[in-house]
Amino acid sequence: MATRDVMAEKLRSVLGDNAVCVDDKYGAGVFVAATAPAARLLEVLGLFKETGFYLETMTALDFQDTQEIVYHLNCYEPLSRMSVRVLVEHGAAAPTASGVFTAANWLEREVREFHGIQFDGHPDPRNLLLPEDADYHPLKKDFGKVHAYRTREEIYG
Amino acid sequence: MAEQFKEPVVDRVYTLNLGPQHPSTHGVLRVLLDLDGEFIVKADPVIGYGHRGHEKMGENRTYKQFLPNASRMDYLSGLLYNHGFVLAVEKLAGIEVPERARYIRTVCAELNRISSHLLWFGTYVMDLGGFTPFLYAFDDRENILDILDRVSGSRLTYSYCRFGGVCNDVDAQFVDMTRAFVKRLRSRFPDYDNLVTKNVIFIHRTRGVGVITAEQAREFGVTGPNLRACGIPYDMRRIEPYEIYDRFDFEVPIGSNGDALDRYHVRLQEMEQSCRIIEQALDKMPGGPFWNEAAAFKVRPPKGEIYFGFESARGQTGYYLVSDGSQCPYRCHIRVPSYGNLHVLTEVLRGTMVADAISILGSIDVVIPEIDR
Repeated sequence: MATRDVMAEKLRSVLGDNAVCVDDKYGAGVFVAATAPAARLLEVLGLFKETGFYLETMTALDFQDTQEIVYHLNCYEPLSRMSVRVLVEHGAAAPTASGVFTAANWLEREVREFHGIQFDGHPDPRNLLLPEDADYHPLKKDFGKVHAYRTREEIYG
Repeated sequence: MAEQFKEPVVDRVYTLNLGPQHPSTHGVLRVLLDLDGEFIVKADPVIGYGHRGHEKMGENRTYKQFLPNASRMDYLSGLLYNHGFVLAVEKLAGIEVPERARYIRTVCAELNRISSHLLWFGTYVMDLGGFTPFLYAFDDRENILDILDRVSGSRLTYSYCRFGGVCNDVDAQFVDMTRAFVKRLRSRFPDYDNLVTKNVIFIHRTRGVGVITAEQAREFGVTGPNLRACGIPYDMRRIEPYEIYDRFDFEVPIGSNGDALDRYHVRLQEMEQSCRIIEQALDKMPGGPFWNEAAAFKVRPPKGEIYFGFESARGQTGYYLVSDGSQCPYRCHIRVPSYGNLHVLTEVLRGTMVADAISILGSIDVVIPEIDR
């Protein structure tokens, strides 16, 4: 059984069938798209780690009603990219994944400075790319010129 | 006088500021090194001096307006970034591309990959004190810039690929120049081997230096030649074939130890593999239209998202685009390979000497403006 099928199976058993969407056609570039509650995020990422995945990238999306963190994970076999999405309320903090994947250390620093999402227990919460005294969050949709500020429903509904 | 040297002059950890103006830091990288004598206790890269806000720019301009930005992130493999962005949007919006354009893009992308590797080869050896190979590499690279200049009009930051094709067709002279270049580059590889690969000083500066283990590579998300040097044949052109890479016969060179010497060998062998791809693409290139021009001017993808990963010269680059159905992306995130490749240095540099740090930094092949975006 290929690693990606093992992982899809594990995700289903942890998150339930409704939260895991398998796409064999790879339309959005991911084989599995999963949604996890913030409280179970570390458990899910831990499963990815032990199955042989690496953290490809993570980023955040700013909506009027909520914010969303997207993790992309991949392993060294064909077509195995998976995404995990976590909803975070405006002003709320997310758990840090830097204890699971060291790569998350810098990625979370970047998400924190650009989106204003705090990560509980981050070992080194300094700015990474912005000046150290920057008190603005440039990738939030209320900063600078943007063409639209939408609710999550408008995009994924 | 001699009395005072019996005790160590400095008996504590002190901090050395490497960069951002140091010639070996390739761009504007600053590394804060905590040193115990000549040994590195802790390395803390300070980045962001070249932050231009490409992701924000991606969100407040249309897909087409963002096109010139793509090649300015990693200016050494600009055409690859340009190519990847075009592919991502084409997949998101469902744009048809003529066959001829796919072959032209592949040839140009591989030429750009070779030019990036040649520049790395020259500057790396120069970091280690050898000036002559630098001139050889730039002499060869100049041929590529001339070829790409002819078709695209620019020498460094190309916007040659367009949605639905490329903006100029190639002619017989392009094909002749490219074939002549491949032949010439092959005749230069023995020179490179004699100048550098077999050079005992070079081997001493690189063998066993800066070892990245496969486990560290996975932990930090290292990709590209740096990962392949650890013995993992992970190349997006093979693993998730995009464009027409599944039609070509080429190998994925790997190393075994993951040290600086392996990374050097992997990149040199990759240039030969790129030459093979170019030759096959030129042989098979069909006629017909080179641009589905009607599609390029009304790019308005349906609601949805895409993560598109491709192999740039330094590793896996990915565009994560979220569309709200308008002509601007709602979110435009770019995964850059140098991010993980530089992050792993915080661990690799620990316990090495300052002179080795220069060798390791060079062998990783980072482009800092790509990280800063």
